[in-house]
Amino acid sequence: MNRPHLKKEYYGYLFVAPFIIGFLLFGLYPVVHTLGLSFTDTTLMKAESNFIGLKNFQRLFADKTFSTAITNTWELWLMNFIPQIGISMLLALWFTNTRLKIKGGGIWRMLFYMPNLMMPASIAALFFSLFSFYGPVNQFLVRADLQAQAIDYIRSPAMMRGLVVFIQWWMWYGQTTILLMAAITSVSPALYEAALIDGAGTGQIFRYVTLPLIKPVMVFILVTSLVGGMQMFDIPMLLTDGRGSPANSILTNNIMMYMRFRSSQGHIGAASSIGVMVFIMTTVVALLIFYLLREKHDGKEIKA
Amino acid sequence: MKKEHYRFSLVLSRVLIYILLAILLVITLVPVWLLIVNATRSTLQIQQGISFLPSTFILSNYKILLSKGLDLPRGFLNSFTIAAATTLLTVYFSMLTAYGIVAYEFKGKKFLYNFILVLVMIPMQLSIIGFYHYMVKIGLDDNYLSLILPSIASAASVFFCKQYLEGVMIQDLIDAGRIDGASELGIFHRIMFPLAAPGAFTLGIFTFVAAWNNFFNAFILITSRDKYTMPMLVQTLRGDVYRHEYGAIYLGLAASVVPIIIIYFLFSRYIVNGISMGAVKE
Repeated sequence: MNRPHLKKEYYGYLFVAPFIIGFLLFGLYPVVHTLGLSFTDTTLMKAESNFIGLKNFQRLFADKTFSTAITNTWELWLMNFIPQIGISMLLALWFTNTRLKIKGGGIWRMLFYMPNLMMPASIAALFFSLFSFYGPVNQFLVRADLQAQAIDYIRSPAMMRGLVVFIQWWMWYGQTTILLMAAITSVSPALYEAALIDGAGTGQIFRYVTLPLIKPVMVFILVTSLVGGMQMFDIPMLLTDGRGSPANSILTNNIMMYMRFRSSQGHIGAASSIGVMVFIMTTVVALLIFYLLREKHDGKEIKA
Repeated sequence: MKKEHYRFSLVLSRVLIYILLAILLVITLVPVWLLIVNATRSTLQIQQGISFLPSTFILSNYKILLSKGLDLPRGFLNSFTIAAATTLLTVYFSMLTAYGIVAYEFKGKKFLYNFILVLVMIPMQLSIIGFYHYMVKIGLDDNYLSLILPSIASAASVFFCKQYLEGVMIQDLIDAGRIDGASELGIFHRIMFPLAAPGAFTLGIFTFVAAWNNFFNAFILITSRDKYTMPMLVQTLRGDVYRHEYGAIYLGLAASVVPIIIIYFLFSRYIVNGISMGAVKE
Protein backbone atom coordinates (compact mmCIF):
# COMPACT_ATOMS: atom_id res chain seq x y z
CA MET A 1 0.00 0.00 0.00
CA ASN A 2 2.91 2.31 -0.63
CA ARG A 3 1.13 4.74 -2.90
CA PRO A 4 3.34 7.14 -4.80
CA HIS A 5 1.09 10.17 -4.30
CA LEU A 6 2.43 11.47 -1.00
CA LYS A 7 4.08 14.36 -2.81
CA LYS A 8 0.71 15.36 -4.14
CA GLU A 9 -0.51 16.59 -0.76
CA TYR A 10 -1.06 20.00 -2.29
CA TYR A 11 -3.69 18.56 -4.69
CA GLY A 12 -5.62 17.04 -1.81
CA TYR A 13 -6.18 20.53 -0.40
CA LEU A 14 -7.12 21.83 -3.83
CA PHE A 15 -9.81 19.19 -4.28
CA VAL A 16 -11.42 19.74 -0.87
CA ALA A 17 -11.09 23.55 -1.01
CA PRO A 18 -14.49 24.27 -2.67
CA PHE A 19 -16.25 22.22 0.02
CA ILE A 20 -14.43 24.02 2.81
CA ILE A 21 -15.10 27.46 1.33
CA GLY A 22 -18.75 26.53 0.69
CA PHE A 23 -19.08 25.22 4.24
CA LEU A 24 -17.56 28.36 5.79
CA LEU A 25 -19.79 30.68 3.73
CA PHE A 26 -23.09 28.77 3.73
CA GLY A 27 -22.78 26.40 6.68
CA LEU A 28 -20.68 27.81 9.49
CA TYR A 29 -21.25 31.53 9.02
CA PRO A 30 -25.08 31.27 9.12
CA VAL A 31 -24.82 29.28 12.37
CA VAL A 32 -22.54 31.90 13.95
CA HIS A 33 -24.75 34.68 12.60
CA THR A 34 -27.89 33.04 14.00
CA LEU A 35 -26.18 32.76 17.37
CA GLY A 36 -25.23 36.44 17.16
CA LEU A 37 -28.77 37.49 16.24
CA SER A 38 -30.20 35.53 19.17
CA PHE A 39 -28.55 38.03 21.56
CA THR A 40 -30.16 41.03 19.84
CA ASP A 41 -33.62 42.54 19.42
CA THR A 42 -33.27 42.67 15.62
CA THR A 43 -36.51 42.91 13.67
CA LEU A 44 -37.15 43.14 9.96
CA MET A 45 -39.03 46.43 10.40
CA LYS A 46 -36.39 48.72 11.88
CA ALA A 47 -32.81 49.38 10.86
CA GLU A 48 -31.11 49.52 14.26
CA SER A 49 -30.77 46.59 16.61
CA ASN A 50 -29.42 46.35 20.15
CA PHE A 51 -27.50 43.78 22.08
CA ILE A 52 -29.87 42.53 24.77
CA GLY A 53 -27.84 39.68 26.24
CA LEU A 54 -29.86 36.64 27.22
CA LYS A 55 -33.25 38.41 27.18
CA ASN A 56 -34.53 36.41 24.20
CA PHE A 57 -33.68 33.18 25.97
CA GLN A 58 -35.22 34.33 29.26
CA ARG A 59 -38.43 35.21 27.43
CA LEU A 60 -38.34 31.90 25.63
CA PHE A 61 -38.05 29.90 28.84
CA ALA A 62 -40.85 31.92 30.42
CA ASP A 63 -43.04 31.30 27.37
CA LYS A 64 -45.34 28.32 27.79
CA THR A 65 -45.72 28.04 24.01
CA PHE A 66 -42.06 27.13 23.75
CA SER A 67 -42.29 24.24 26.19
CA THR A 68 -45.44 23.12 24.35
CA ALA A 69 -43.54 23.19 21.05
CA ILE A 70 -40.59 21.23 22.45
CA THR A 71 -42.85 18.63 24.11
CA ASN A 72 -44.99 18.31 20.97
CA THR A 73 -41.98 17.81 18.73
CA TRP A 74 -40.55 15.09 20.96
CA GLU A 75 -43.91 13.35 21.35
CA LEU A 76 -44.76 13.50 17.66
CA TRP A 77 -41.34 12.11 16.79
CA LEU A 78 -41.33 9.34 19.40
CA MET A 79 -44.89 8.22 18.66
CA ASN A 80 -43.91 7.77 15.01
CA PHE A 81 -40.41 6.39 15.54
CA ILE A 82 -41.22 3.54 17.92
CA PRO A 83 -43.90 1.87 15.75
CA GLN A 84 -41.80 2.68 12.69
CA ILE A 85 -38.72 0.81 13.88
CA GLY A 86 -40.90 -2.04 15.21
CA ILE A 87 -42.91 -2.59 12.02
CA SER A 88 -39.86 -2.09 9.80
CA MET A 89 -37.84 -4.59 11.83
CA LEU A 90 -40.64 -7.15 11.50
CA LEU A 91 -40.87 -6.57 7.73
CA ALA A 92 -37.09 -6.72 7.29
CA LEU A 93 -36.90 -10.00 9.23
CA TRP A 94 -39.72 -11.51 7.17
CA PHE A 95 -38.24 -10.43 3.85
CA THR A 96 -34.78 -11.78 4.72
CA ASN A 97 -35.99 -15.02 6.35
CA THR A 98 -34.80 -17.91 4.18
CA ARG A 99 -37.40 -20.34 5.53
CA LEU A 100 -40.41 -18.10 4.93
CA LYS A 101 -39.39 -17.34 1.31
CA ILE A 102 -41.67 -14.30 0.92
CA LYS A 103 -42.15 -13.69 -2.81
CA GLY A 104 -41.72 -10.33 -4.55
CA GLY A 105 -39.54 -8.83 -1.80
CA GLY A 106 -38.15 -6.26 -4.22
CA ILE A 107 -41.58 -5.08 -5.35
CA TRP A 108 -43.03 -4.89 -1.83
CA ARG A 109 -40.22 -2.74 -0.53
CA MET A 110 -40.20 -0.59 -3.66
CA LEU A 111 -43.89 0.22 -3.18
CA PHE A 112 -43.58 0.65 0.59
CA TYR A 113 -40.84 3.20 0.02
CA MET A 114 -42.75 5.31 -2.49
CA PRO A 115 -44.42 7.80 -0.07
CA ASN A 116 -40.96 8.85 1.13
CA LEU A 117 -40.19 10.59 -2.16
CA MET A 118 -43.39 12.56 -2.37
CA MET A 119 -43.56 16.23 -1.55
CA PRO A 120 -44.39 16.55 2.18
CA ALA A 121 -46.23 19.82 1.50
CA SER A 122 -48.56 18.03 -0.93
CA ILE A 123 -48.97 15.04 1.36
CA ALA A 124 -50.08 17.31 4.20
CA ALA A 125 -52.52 19.15 1.93
CA LEU A 126 -53.76 15.80 0.63
CA PHE A 127 -54.51 14.44 4.10
CA PHE A 128 -56.17 17.74 5.01
CA SER A 129 -58.51 17.25 2.05
CA LEU A 130 -59.10 13.57 2.79
CA PHE A 131 -60.03 14.28 6.42
CA SER A 132 -61.93 17.53 5.88
CA PHE A 133 -65.59 17.72 6.94
CA TYR A 134 -66.95 16.97 3.46
CA GLY A 135 -63.93 14.86 2.50
CA PRO A 136 -63.68 11.22 1.39
CA VAL A 137 -62.97 9.79 4.86
CA ASN A 138 -66.19 11.20 6.31
CA GLN A 139 -68.11 10.20 3.18
CA PHE A 140 -66.88 6.64 3.41
CA LEU A 141 -67.40 6.20 7.15
CA VAL A 142 -70.90 7.70 7.14
CA ARG A 143 -72.02 5.68 4.13
CA ALA A 144 -70.61 2.48 5.57
CA ASP A 145 -72.53 3.25 8.80
CA LEU A 146 -69.31 3.22 10.79
CA GLN A 147 -70.04 6.79 11.86
CA ALA A 148 -73.46 8.30 12.58
CA GLN A 149 -72.51 11.64 11.06
CA ALA A 150 -69.54 13.55 9.66
CA ILE A 151 -66.90 14.42 12.24
CA ASP A 152 -64.83 17.60 12.14
CA TYR A 153 -61.48 15.82 12.36
CA ILE A 154 -59.50 18.96 11.54
CA ARG A 155 -60.66 20.58 14.79
CA SER A 156 -59.82 17.60 16.97
CA PRO A 157 -56.41 17.87 18.67
CA ALA A 158 -56.16 14.12 19.23
CA MET A 159 -57.06 13.34 15.62
CA MET A 160 -54.59 15.86 14.20
CA ARG A 161 -51.76 14.60 16.39
CA GLY A 162 -52.58 11.06 15.38
CA LEU A 163 -52.62 12.10 11.74
CA VAL A 164 -49.20 13.83 11.93
CA VAL A 165 -47.78 10.70 13.58
CA PHE A 166 -49.43 8.47 10.98
CA ILE A 167 -48.15 10.54 8.02
CA GLN A 168 -44.60 10.54 9.39
CA TRP A 169 -44.78 6.80 9.89
CA TRP A 170 -46.32 6.31 6.44
CA MET A 171 -43.53 8.31 4.79
CA TRP A 172 -40.61 6.67 6.59
CA TYR A 173 -41.33 3.02 7.40
CA GLY A 174 -40.36 1.91 3.86
CA GLN A 175 -36.96 3.56 4.04
CA THR A 176 -36.28 2.09 7.50
CA THR A 177 -37.28 -1.36 6.21
CA ILE A 178 -34.83 -1.09 3.29
CA LEU A 179 -31.99 0.02 5.58
CA LEU A 180 -32.64 -2.80 8.05
CA MET A 181 -32.86 -5.35 5.21
CA ALA A 182 -29.51 -4.21 3.85
CA ALA A 183 -28.00 -4.46 7.31
CA ILE A 184 -29.43 -7.93 7.97
CA THR A 185 -28.33 -9.33 4.61
CA SER A 186 -24.81 -7.96 5.10
CA VAL A 187 -24.41 -10.24 8.16
CA SER A 188 -22.46 -13.32 7.11
CA PRO A 189 -24.69 -16.43 6.66
CA ALA A 190 -21.90 -18.45 8.31
CA LEU A 191 -22.74 -16.76 11.62
CA TYR A 192 -26.39 -17.82 11.38
CA GLU A 193 -25.39 -21.37 10.47
CA ALA A 194 -23.02 -21.54 13.42
CA ALA A 195 -25.78 -20.31 15.73
CA LEU A 196 -28.24 -22.86 14.29
CA ILE A 197 -25.74 -25.68 14.77
CA ASP A 198 -25.29 -24.55 18.36
CA GLY A 199 -29.04 -25.02 18.74
CA ALA A 200 -30.10 -21.38 19.02
CA GLY A 201 -33.79 -20.59 18.42
CA THR A 202 -35.12 -17.81 16.17
CA GLY A 203 -35.48 -15.43 19.09
CA GLN A 204 -31.99 -16.15 20.41
CA ILE A 205 -30.44 -15.70 16.95
CA PHE A 206 -32.16 -12.33 16.63
CA ARG A 207 -31.14 -11.22 20.11
CA TYR A 208 -27.52 -12.42 20.10
CA VAL A 209 -26.48 -12.49 16.43
CA THR A 210 -28.59 -10.14 14.28
CA LEU A 211 -29.22 -7.30 16.72
CA PRO A 212 -25.59 -6.70 17.82
CA LEU A 213 -24.36 -6.84 14.22
CA ILE A 214 -26.89 -4.39 12.81
CA LYS A 215 -26.43 -1.94 15.69
CA PRO A 216 -24.45 0.60 13.62
CA VAL A 217 -27.31 0.84 11.12
CA MET A 218 -29.87 1.12 13.94
CA VAL A 219 -27.85 4.00 15.41
CA PHE A 220 -27.76 5.63 11.96
CA ILE A 221 -31.55 5.29 11.61
CA LEU A 222 -32.15 6.59 15.14
CA VAL A 223 -29.88 9.63 14.79
CA THR A 224 -31.02 10.69 11.30
CA SER A 225 -34.66 10.23 12.28
CA LEU A 226 -34.14 12.28 15.45
CA VAL A 227 -32.37 15.11 13.63
CA GLY A 228 -35.13 15.18 11.01
CA GLY A 229 -37.89 14.83 13.60
CA MET A 230 -36.68 17.79 15.67
CA GLN A 231 -37.02 19.95 12.53
CA MET A 232 -40.50 18.67 11.62
CA PHE A 233 -42.26 21.43 9.72
CA ASP A 234 -44.02 20.80 6.39
CA ILE A 235 -46.53 18.19 7.58
CA PRO A 236 -47.84 19.85 10.78
CA MET A 237 -47.58 23.29 9.14
CA LEU A 238 -49.78 22.45 6.15
CA LEU A 239 -52.09 19.94 7.78
CA THR A 240 -54.03 22.68 9.56
CA ASP A 241 -53.79 26.47 9.52
CA GLY A 242 -50.00 26.84 9.74
CA ARG A 243 -50.08 27.76 13.44
CA GLY A 244 -50.10 24.28 14.92
CA SER A 245 -53.87 24.35 15.50
CA PRO A 246 -56.11 23.02 16.93
CA ALA A 247 -55.11 24.32 20.38
CA ASN A 248 -51.35 24.21 19.62
CA SER A 249 -51.64 20.43 19.46
CA ILE A 250 -49.28 20.07 16.48
CA LEU A 251 -47.18 23.18 17.07
CA THR A 252 -43.55 22.11 16.54
CA ASN A 253 -40.21 23.85 17.13
CA ASN A 254 -39.86 24.99 13.55
CA ILE A 255 -43.46 26.18 13.26
CA MET A 256 -42.91 28.36 16.32
CA MET A 257 -39.64 29.67 14.86
CA TYR A 258 -41.41 30.43 11.62
CA MET A 259 -44.26 32.23 13.42
CA ARG A 260 -41.78 34.51 15.22
CA PHE A 261 -40.02 35.16 11.92
CA ARG A 262 -43.25 36.03 10.09
CA SER A 263 -44.82 37.96 12.96
CA SER A 264 -45.94 41.47 12.06
CA GLN A 265 -42.63 42.92 13.28
CA GLY A 266 -40.48 40.06 11.98
CA HIS A 267 -38.73 39.33 15.28
CA ILE A 268 -35.72 37.58 13.85
CA GLY A 269 -33.73 37.98 17.06
CA ALA A 270 -36.38 36.03 18.95
CA ALA A 271 -36.76 33.55 16.08
CA SER A 272 -33.00 32.96 16.11
CA SER A 273 -33.04 32.12 19.80
CA ILE A 274 -35.51 29.28 19.07
CA GLY A 275 -33.22 28.02 16.30
CA VAL A 276 -30.24 28.16 18.65
CA MET A 277 -32.01 26.28 21.47
CA VAL A 278 -33.29 23.51 19.20
CA PHE A 279 -29.90 23.32 17.48
CA ILE A 280 -28.12 22.81 20.79
CA MET A 281 -30.71 20.33 22.07
CA THR A 282 -30.68 18.23 18.88
CA THR A 283 -26.92 18.24 18.44
CA VAL A 284 -26.27 17.28 22.05
CA VAL A 285 -28.80 14.43 22.01
CA ALA A 286 -27.67 13.18 18.56
CA LEU A 287 -23.98 13.16 19.47
CA LEU A 288 -24.75 11.63 22.87
CA ILE A 289 -26.68 8.75 21.27
CA PHE A 290 -23.87 8.27 18.77
CA TYR A 291 -21.28 8.28 21.55
CA LEU A 292 -23.18 5.99 23.94
CA LEU A 293 -24.12 3.42 21.29
CA ARG A 294 -20.83 3.45 19.39
CA GLU A 295 -18.94 0.21 18.77
CA LYS A 296 -17.05 -0.46 21.98
CA HIS A 297 -15.27 -3.75 21.29
CA ASP A 298 -12.13 -2.14 19.85
CA GLY A 299 -9.91 -4.55 18.01
CA LYS A 300 -12.29 -7.48 18.35
CA GLU A 301 -14.65 -6.15 15.68
CA ILE A 302 -16.42 -8.91 13.74
CA LYS A 303 -16.26 -8.23 10.03
CA ALA A 304 -18.98 -9.65 7.83
CA MET B 1 -45.78 -35.69 13.34
CA LYS B 2 -43.47 -32.92 14.39
CA LYS B 3 -42.50 -32.25 10.78
CA GLU B 4 -46.17 -32.00 9.74
CA HIS B 5 -46.78 -29.51 12.49
CA TYR B 6 -43.77 -27.48 11.40
CA ARG B 7 -44.93 -27.36 7.77
CA PHE B 8 -48.41 -26.33 8.78
CA SER B 9 -47.23 -23.48 10.98
CA LEU B 10 -44.90 -22.30 8.21
CA VAL B 11 -47.76 -22.14 5.69
CA LEU B 12 -49.98 -20.42 8.24
CA SER B 13 -47.41 -17.77 9.05
CA ARG B 14 -46.79 -17.25 5.33
CA VAL B 15 -50.51 -16.63 4.73
CA LEU B 16 -50.72 -14.25 7.69
CA ILE B 17 -47.67 -12.34 6.49
CA TYR B 18 -49.07 -11.95 2.97
CA ILE B 19 -52.34 -10.64 4.41
CA LEU B 20 -50.48 -8.10 6.54
CA LEU B 21 -48.32 -7.06 3.59
CA ALA B 22 -51.44 -6.57 1.48
CA ILE B 23 -53.00 -4.38 4.19
CA LEU B 24 -49.81 -2.30 4.39
CA LEU B 25 -49.81 -1.97 0.61
CA VAL B 26 -53.38 -0.67 0.63
CA ILE B 27 -52.55 1.85 3.38
CA THR B 28 -49.48 2.98 1.44
CA LEU B 29 -51.06 3.33 -1.98
CA VAL B 30 -54.68 4.36 -1.42
CA PRO B 31 -53.99 7.99 -0.42
CA VAL B 32 -51.77 8.46 -3.47
CA TRP B 33 -54.23 6.77 -5.81
CA LEU B 34 -57.12 8.87 -4.46
CA LEU B 35 -55.02 11.98 -5.09
CA ILE B 36 -54.36 11.08 -8.71
CA VAL B 37 -57.94 9.96 -9.40
CA ASN B 38 -59.49 13.01 -7.76
CA ALA B 39 -57.30 15.26 -9.91
CA THR B 40 -59.29 13.96 -12.91
CA ARG B 41 -62.73 14.27 -11.29
CA SER B 42 -65.00 17.28 -11.06
CA THR B 43 -65.70 18.88 -7.70
CA LEU B 44 -69.29 17.62 -7.94
CA GLN B 45 -68.15 14.03 -8.48
CA ILE B 46 -65.73 14.28 -5.59
CA GLN B 47 -68.50 15.52 -3.31
CA GLN B 48 -70.80 12.70 -4.40
CA GLY B 49 -68.48 9.96 -3.24
CA ILE B 50 -65.25 8.06 -3.47
CA SER B 51 -64.16 6.48 -6.72
CA PHE B 52 -61.05 4.54 -7.61
CA LEU B 53 -61.55 5.08 -11.33
CA PRO B 54 -60.29 8.21 -13.12
CA SER B 55 -62.75 10.59 -14.74
CA THR B 56 -62.40 13.14 -17.55
CA PHE B 57 -62.28 16.53 -15.84
CA ILE B 58 -58.54 17.02 -15.75
CA LEU B 59 -58.65 19.89 -18.27
CA SER B 60 -61.53 21.73 -16.67
CA ASN B 61 -59.77 21.38 -13.30
CA TYR B 62 -56.68 22.88 -14.88
CA LYS B 63 -58.72 25.78 -16.27
CA ILE B 64 -60.10 26.48 -12.80
CA LEU B 65 -56.55 26.61 -11.41
CA LEU B 66 -55.54 29.02 -14.19
CA SER B 67 -58.59 31.22 -13.64
CA LYS B 68 -57.64 31.55 -9.96
CA GLY B 69 -54.17 32.72 -10.98
CA LEU B 70 -52.21 29.60 -10.12
CA ASP B 71 -49.46 29.39 -12.71
CA LEU B 72 -48.61 25.69 -12.57
CA PRO B 73 -46.15 25.61 -15.53
CA ARG B 74 -44.30 28.53 -14.02
CA GLY B 75 -43.96 26.85 -10.64
CA PHE B 76 -42.94 23.66 -12.39
CA LEU B 77 -40.20 25.46 -14.32
CA ASN B 78 -39.02 27.31 -11.19
CA SER B 79 -38.76 24.12 -9.18
CA PHE B 80 -37.08 22.30 -12.04
CA THR B 81 -34.47 25.06 -12.44
CA ILE B 82 -33.59 25.01 -8.75
CA ALA B 83 -33.57 21.21 -8.48
CA ALA B 84 -31.45 20.76 -11.63
CA ALA B 85 -28.87 23.37 -10.58
CA THR B 86 -28.73 22.00 -7.03
CA THR B 87 -28.23 18.49 -8.39
CA LEU B 88 -25.36 19.49 -10.69
CA LEU B 89 -23.53 21.41 -7.95
CA THR B 90 -24.07 18.75 -5.28
CA VAL B 91 -22.95 15.83 -7.42
CA TYR B 92 -19.91 17.59 -8.90
CA PHE B 93 -18.55 19.16 -5.73
CA SER B 94 -19.32 16.16 -3.49
CA MET B 95 -17.48 13.85 -5.88
CA LEU B 96 -14.60 16.34 -6.08
CA THR B 97 -14.31 16.55 -2.29
CA ALA B 98 -14.67 12.81 -1.79
CA TYR B 99 -12.03 12.16 -4.46
CA GLY B 100 -9.67 14.56 -2.70
CA ILE B 101 -10.14 12.60 0.52
CA VAL B 102 -9.90 9.14 -1.05
CA ALA B 103 -7.05 9.71 -3.52
CA TYR B 104 -4.63 11.98 -1.65
CA GLU B 105 -2.82 12.02 1.63
CA PHE B 106 -2.69 15.38 3.37
CA LYS B 107 -2.47 16.79 6.87
CA GLY B 108 -5.87 17.20 8.48
CA LYS B 109 -7.53 14.69 6.14
CA LYS B 110 -8.67 12.45 8.97
CA PHE B 111 -9.99 15.45 10.89
CA LEU B 112 -11.84 16.72 7.83
CA TYR B 113 -13.45 13.34 7.25
CA ASN B 114 -14.55 12.96 10.88
CA PHE B 115 -15.82 16.52 10.82
CA ILE B 116 -17.96 15.75 7.75
CA LEU B 117 -19.35 12.71 9.60
CA VAL B 118 -20.35 14.89 12.55
CA LEU B 119 -21.88 17.47 10.19
CA VAL B 120 -24.27 14.80 8.89
CA MET B 121 -25.69 14.59 12.41
CA ILE B 122 -26.08 18.32 12.97
CA PRO B 123 -29.34 20.11 12.13
CA MET B 124 -27.77 22.86 10.00
CA GLN B 125 -31.20 23.92 8.73
CA LEU B 126 -31.92 25.46 12.13
CA SER B 127 -29.60 28.35 11.20
CA ILE B 128 -32.06 29.40 8.49
CA ILE B 129 -32.93 32.69 10.24
CA GLY B 130 -29.28 33.81 10.33
CA PHE B 131 -28.91 32.54 6.78
CA TYR B 132 -31.89 34.64 5.68
CA HIS B 133 -30.58 37.79 7.39
CA TYR B 134 -27.17 37.24 5.81
CA MET B 135 -28.71 36.77 2.35
CA VAL B 136 -30.66 40.02 2.80
CA LYS B 137 -27.41 41.81 3.62
CA ILE B 138 -25.64 40.57 0.50
CA GLY B 139 -28.74 41.03 -1.67
CA LEU B 140 -29.40 37.37 -2.39
CA ASP B 141 -32.77 37.04 -0.65
CA ASP B 142 -35.63 36.28 -3.02
CA ASN B 143 -32.94 34.90 -5.35
CA TYR B 144 -32.56 31.26 -6.35
CA LEU B 145 -28.80 31.47 -5.74
CA SER B 146 -29.52 31.44 -2.00
CA LEU B 147 -31.19 28.04 -2.44
CA ILE B 148 -28.66 26.63 -4.90
CA LEU B 149 -25.20 27.76 -3.72
CA PRO B 150 -25.20 25.98 -0.31
CA SER B 151 -25.23 22.65 -2.17
CA ILE B 152 -21.50 23.10 -2.86
CA ALA B 153 -20.97 21.88 0.70
CA SER B 154 -23.30 18.95 1.36
CA ALA B 155 -21.81 16.76 4.08
CA ALA B 156 -24.16 13.79 3.61
CA SER B 157 -23.43 13.73 -0.13
CA VAL B 158 -19.66 13.82 0.40
CA PHE B 159 -20.06 10.89 2.80
CA PHE B 160 -22.04 8.97 0.19
CA CYS B 161 -19.48 9.72 -2.55
CA LYS B 162 -16.58 8.68 -0.34
CA GLN B 163 -18.21 5.32 0.38
CA TYR B 164 -18.87 4.85 -3.33
CA LEU B 165 -15.45 5.96 -4.59
CA GLU B 166 -13.65 3.63 -2.19
CA GLY B 167 -15.46 0.75 -3.88
CA VAL B 168 -14.76 1.70 -7.50
CA MET B 169 -11.38 3.44 -7.43
CA ILE B 170 -8.62 1.75 -9.40
CA GLN B 171 -5.21 3.15 -8.46
CA ASP B 172 -3.55 1.67 -11.57
CA LEU B 173 -5.83 3.68 -13.86
CA ILE B 174 -4.94 6.87 -12.01
CA ASP B 175 -1.23 6.09 -12.24
CA ALA B 176 -1.60 5.28 -15.94
CA GLY B 177 -3.29 8.64 -16.43
CA ARG B 178 -0.39 10.36 -14.70
CA ILE B 179 2.14 8.59 -16.91
CA ASP B 180 0.15 9.72 -19.94
CA GLY B 181 0.61 13.24 -18.67
CA ALA B 182 -2.97 13.97 -17.59
CA SER B 183 -3.38 16.72 -15.01
CA GLU B 184 -4.76 15.76 -11.57
CA LEU B 185 -8.06 17.49 -12.34
CA GLY B 186 -8.07 15.83 -15.77
CA ILE B 187 -7.72 12.43 -14.10
CA PHE B 188 -10.72 13.24 -11.92
CA HIS B 189 -12.82 14.39 -14.89
CA ARG B 190 -11.85 11.79 -17.46
CA ILE B 191 -11.02 8.69 -15.41
CA MET B 192 -12.69 8.86 -11.99
CA PHE B 193 -15.96 10.54 -12.86
CA PRO B 194 -16.92 7.99 -15.56
CA LEU B 195 -16.00 5.16 -13.15
CA ALA B 196 -18.22 6.69 -10.47
CA ALA B 197 -21.07 7.52 -12.86
CA PRO B 198 -23.62 5.06 -11.41
CA GLY B 199 -23.01 6.43 -7.91
CA ALA B 200 -23.18 10.00 -9.20
CA PHE B 201 -26.48 9.19 -10.90
CA THR B 202 -27.95 7.67 -7.74
CA LEU B 203 -26.89 10.67 -5.68
CA GLY B 204 -28.28 12.92 -8.40
CA ILE B 205 -31.75 11.39 -8.18
CA PHE B 206 -31.87 11.75 -4.40
CA THR B 207 -30.62 15.34 -4.56
CA PHE B 208 -33.11 16.25 -7.28
CA VAL B 209 -36.06 14.82 -5.36
CA ALA B 210 -34.99 16.49 -2.10
CA ALA B 211 -34.56 19.86 -3.84
CA TRP B 212 -37.87 19.49 -5.67
CA ASN B 213 -39.67 18.75 -2.41
CA ASN B 214 -37.89 21.38 -0.30
CA PHE B 215 -40.48 23.71 1.17
CA PHE B 216 -39.03 25.24 4.34
CA ASN B 217 -36.00 27.04 2.85
CA ALA B 218 -37.86 28.37 -0.18
CA PHE B 219 -40.76 29.44 2.05
CA ILE B 220 -38.38 31.62 4.08
CA LEU B 221 -36.08 32.91 1.35
CA ILE B 222 -38.39 33.49 -1.64
CA THR B 223 -41.03 36.20 -1.54
CA SER B 224 -41.98 37.17 -5.12
CA ARG B 225 -45.06 35.44 -6.36
CA ASP B 226 -43.55 34.70 -9.79
CA LYS B 227 -40.60 32.92 -8.16
CA TYR B 228 -42.77 30.52 -6.15
CA THR B 229 -41.72 26.88 -6.29
CA MET B 230 -44.12 23.92 -6.49
CA PRO B 231 -44.42 23.34 -2.72
CA MET B 232 -45.05 27.07 -2.26
CA LEU B 233 -47.85 26.94 -4.82
CA VAL B 234 -49.24 23.87 -3.06
CA GLN B 235 -49.31 25.87 0.14
CA THR B 236 -51.41 28.60 -1.51
CA LEU B 237 -53.98 25.95 -2.50
CA ARG B 238 -54.96 25.92 1.16
CA GLY B 239 -56.18 29.50 0.85
CA ASP B 240 -59.74 30.78 0.61
CA VAL B 241 -59.53 31.37 -3.15
CA TYR B 242 -59.83 27.66 -3.80
CA ARG B 243 -62.46 26.91 -1.21
CA HIS B 244 -64.61 24.03 -2.46
CA GLU B 245 -62.76 23.70 -5.77
CA TYR B 246 -61.69 20.21 -4.76
CA GLY B 247 -60.94 18.90 -8.25
CA ALA B 248 -58.60 21.80 -8.94
CA ILE B 249 -56.89 21.45 -5.55
CA TYR B 250 -56.23 17.75 -6.12
CA LEU B 251 -54.86 18.54 -9.59
CA GLY B 252 -52.43 21.06 -8.14
CA LEU B 253 -51.25 18.53 -5.56
CA ALA B 254 -50.98 15.75 -8.14
CA ALA B 255 -48.84 17.96 -10.40
CA SER B 256 -46.22 18.20 -7.65
CA VAL B 257 -46.24 14.48 -6.88
CA VAL B 258 -46.71 12.69 -10.24
CA PRO B 259 -43.33 13.71 -11.79
CA ILE B 260 -41.56 12.19 -8.80
CA ILE B 261 -43.61 8.99 -9.06
CA ILE B 262 -42.59 8.72 -12.73
CA ILE B 263 -38.92 9.26 -11.87
CA TYR B 264 -39.28 6.62 -9.18
CA PHE B 265 -40.74 3.98 -11.48
CA LEU B 266 -38.06 4.69 -14.09
CA PHE B 267 -35.11 4.54 -11.69
CA SER B 268 -36.37 2.59 -8.69
CA ARG B 269 -33.46 0.16 -8.91
CA TYR B 270 -30.94 2.97 -8.44
CA ILE B 271 -33.02 4.57 -5.73
CA VAL B 272 -33.74 1.48 -3.63
CA ASN B 273 -30.11 0.34 -3.81
CA GLY B 274 -28.87 3.85 -3.10
CA ILE B 275 -30.79 4.22 0.19
CA SER B 276 -28.52 1.85 2.09
CA MET B 277 -25.32 2.85 0.28
CA GLY B 278 -24.33 5.54 2.71
CA ALA B 279 -25.38 3.66 5.82
CA VAL B 280 -24.43 0.02 5.36
CA LYS B 281 -20.87 -0.97 4.64
CA GLU B 282 -20.89 -4.13 2.58
